[in-house]
Amino acid sequence: MMEYIKLEEKLPPKEYRSDIEPTWCPGCGDFGVVTALTKAFSEEKFDPTAITMTSGIGCSSRLPLWMNAFGIHTAHGRALPAAVGVRLAKPETPTIVTAGDGDIFSIGMEHFPHTARKNFNITLVVMDNRMYALTKNQTSPTSRHGYKGSLNPYGNIEDPFNTIKFAIASGATFVAQSYSGNPKHLADTIQAAVEHKGFSFVNVLSPCPTFNKIDTFKYYKGRLIDINKELGHDPSDMKAALELASHVLDADNPELEDAEPFKGKRPIGIFYKVEKETFEERIAKLKEKFAPKDGKEPDWDEILSKYRP
Amino acid sequence: MAFDLTIKYAGEGGEGVISAGDFTMRAASNLGYEVVTFKSFPAEIKGGYALSQVRMSDEKILSQGDGFNILVAFNGEAYEVNKPLLKKGTVLIWDGPEGGDFEPDIEELEAKGVFVYAVPMSKIAKEDVGAYITKNVVAMAATFELFGFPIEVLKEEITKKFSKKGEDVVNLNFKAVEAGVNYVKENIKKIDPYKVPGPLPKKDVIILEGNEAIALGAAAAGVQVFAAYPITPATTVGNYLSPIILKTGGFVYQSEDEISSMAAIIGSSFAGAKSMTATSGPGLSLMQELIDLASMTELPVVVVDVQRAGPSTGMPTKHEQADLFAAALGGHGDDQRVVIAPKNVEENFYLTIEAFNLSEKYQLPVIMLTDGSLSLRAEAIPTPDIKKIKENLIERPVVRKEEVKPEELDNLFRYAITENGISPVFVPTVSPKPYTATGLEHAENSRPRTTPKERTIMMDKRFRKIANIEQENQHLLEWDLGDLQEGEKADIAVVAWGLTASITQEAVKRLREKGYKIAALYPKLLYPVPKNALEKLASMADQILVPEASYLGHFARFIKMFTNVPQEKIVQYNIYRGEPFIPAEIEEKILELVGQKTNA
Repeated sequence: MMEYIKLEEKLPPKEYRSDIEPTWCPGCGDFGVVTALTKAFSEEKFDPTAITMTSGIGCSSRLPLWMNAFGIHTAHGRALPAAVGVRLAKPETPTIVTAGDGDIFSIGMEHFPHTARKNFNITLVVMDNRMYALTKNQTSPTSRHGYKGSLNPYGNIEDPFNTIKFAIASGATFVAQSYSGNPKHLADTIQAAVEHKGFSFVNVLSPCPTFNKIDTFKYYKGRLIDINKELGHDPSDMKAALELASHVLDADNPELEDAEPFKGKRPIGIFYKVEKETFEERIAKLKEKFAPKDGKEPDWDEILSKYRP
Repeated sequence: MAFDLTIKYAGEGGEGVISAGDFTMRAASNLGYEVVTFKSFPAEIKGGYALSQVRMSDEKILSQGDGFNILVAFNGEAYEVNKPLLKKGTVLIWDGPEGGDFEPDIEELEAKGVFVYAVPMSKIAKEDVGAYITKNVVAMAATFELFGFPIEVLKEEITKKFSKKGEDVVNLNFKAVEAGVNYVKENIKKIDPYKVPGPLPKKDVIILEGNEAIALGAAAAGVQVFAAYPITPATTVGNYLSPIILKTGGFVYQSEDEISSMAAIIGSSFAGAKSMTATSGPGLSLMQELIDLASMTELPVVVVDVQRAGPSTGMPTKHEQADLFAAALGGHGDDQRVVIAPKNVEENFYLTIEAFNLSEKYQLPVIMLTDGSLSLRAEAIPTPDIKKIKENLIERPVVRKEEVKPEELDNLFRYAITENGISPVFVPTVSPKPYTATGLEHAENSRPRTTPKERTIMMDKRFRKIANIEQENQHLLEWDLGDLQEGEKADIAVVAWGLTASITQEAVKRLREKGYKIAALYPKLLYPVPKNALEKLASMADQILVPEASYLGHFARFIKMFTNVPQEKIVQYNIYRGEPFIPAEIEEKILELVGQKTNA
């Protein structure tokens, strides 16, 4: 079911770039995501005229514009439901959603758990710079406690949202975190996410060099731990996944510097992965039962007969 | 005089009042009569006041009419609510003299000239039939017997409806029919003049409710993705579409909210599918930002707004037509939308198809306004010619890989500036040259662009698409001039839209029979405002009456805003009580205005 349209031969990754010059700041973490996506598309032999991307509003949401693929740059927070529409109409188009932490977890929060729960075959790549950059530095739901944004210059009085735990709890069937400063890990993770049949969520720690002077490339250097390779975590183990996920934000807290399991480091890797029937597969089953074969017209006389007096 | 009879069943929800109306409607239709039914459900899930009013005639029925000829009151509440409408010449059939929960003022009614018959429907159902649930069948049988409906027709309907439940159920209902008929034969002396004439040649019709017609129309138009969120009174559009759409290869998707529905149909339209949602006022408000997006990205989508009384939560099951401002102008900035409104159930069907055609042709959101009362109105309409409809469907101009020569590609752009503003469409998996549709202002190739020159060009292009909508869609303007000659002055002009238009049409018809000359226009195209037609109408009379079920009178104000019609000619007639107009009100208003004119 639901075979993606693929090419016979691989295209080099650069063929997945459009000729539009990105408007991102030099040194933006999101460039790493572009590279990883083009690599994944190349490896998967996706046809550029078959890929459909969606995004919301924000610096990272501009990503589809730099890609040689179909895309919809929607309204703030609405990338996921637009992607759902694409899935309903044309399940054979690989559907990738790219947006930021504010877009998906603030205004877009109403859509995230439902799309995950329904297990639509969508790959969601969130570029998490832990703030709002395009509107010039405000806190987002993933901002550190104490982070100074323009609307709370005294420091953020909230605690951040644990999106990894939330994603697993929402029923996402592939949950991972990666880092745009580690091209290999990012490319591998995104490819795995795209290959996964179901709702894949990759949270990419992606520094904003212009405004966020705390969660920088320099900060992340040496502060990441690979939960699969280094801790031997088995992503099929839900219990272990939730346990690890509960500690994802420990490194925000200096008092937890030596605490298990991450000892002051930030986790990257695949937390949870399970195979489960997708929403599109369930629709296909219904259509199998009722829809006319080969796209022929149904028996309209039969349909109309039900309304005769 | 044409045959024109209205029977109203009223009582408590759960007692089969609505079914009684449905059965009667189908029976009348099978006798070859034109039928229109109006029903109202209680706001509660259990109990509450319910009614079903069936109007039958040998001529085309325009509206609900002013009231009823026959009232079948199942309980005291039904009697109390309808007492003011029991005028001279009407008939009251009430649940009595024993077994019911009330007693009408029989003397008072008979003195007024009302014909009163007591039929103990509860008692008969409980004691003679042994099943209280057959109360409505007893009531119907008695009604049919009193007014000359062939009883076989009722029995046929019962067989059709209940044979699936088994012979026992059918026989129980037949017992109820017999009991009701026999009671009338043995106890009642007919003193009223009403009688259903013999059967007419049977017509090739189907019976649809307003929202059902929308669903069927959408299916005929080829809708593939219907995404919606439950909201009264629009939910049933999806309910009716759900079983049909699977047969036509599409899907009804319940999303998490209205914003999500609108986003989903933008995504599905982008992917090439005909897409639609149905909502009411509060949902329309939530969708505004995304309707703007559909407009800016030039994606065809159909949004049905089954209006209810507002503002805010308002009165969810009550009639109002106050969403026109929101439908046409509710987005921020200057976007392009087309707003249309059907006036009866037949138009609910055909205008839904039209909505798809318009959205595909002009590549923008089309909003169709109906209302709660129209959504529940049922009509027998001539069976549509689906083949003909399919042959005339309009599809967006998709650029296909196999049809484009490589050298042509360089000059093909998604938002190409053209003379009529309409650009070629690129769709994933089908077209070459992928692009990202964006809500940002953009250049021809869709890349974001904010230079003053390019912005101006692109804005002009989008508005150019709809500049000639009126001229190009004359079939969306319904003229009702009677025998008014070219250049002749009418006593008054009238403009009405939505359900109000069919009610107005009846009032106009009656006034013409009394010798008045009236120029009426029932626009199905509400926005862009059909300026030419309205100005032409204005030249035919000194006054233009605009009846609307809204406090502000949205279309009257659109006439003032968007046309050169002299403002002093416009007379607004606004009601906002949560009920539709009745023809008598509009008739009286016109007489008041025309009368004033002749006295001056």
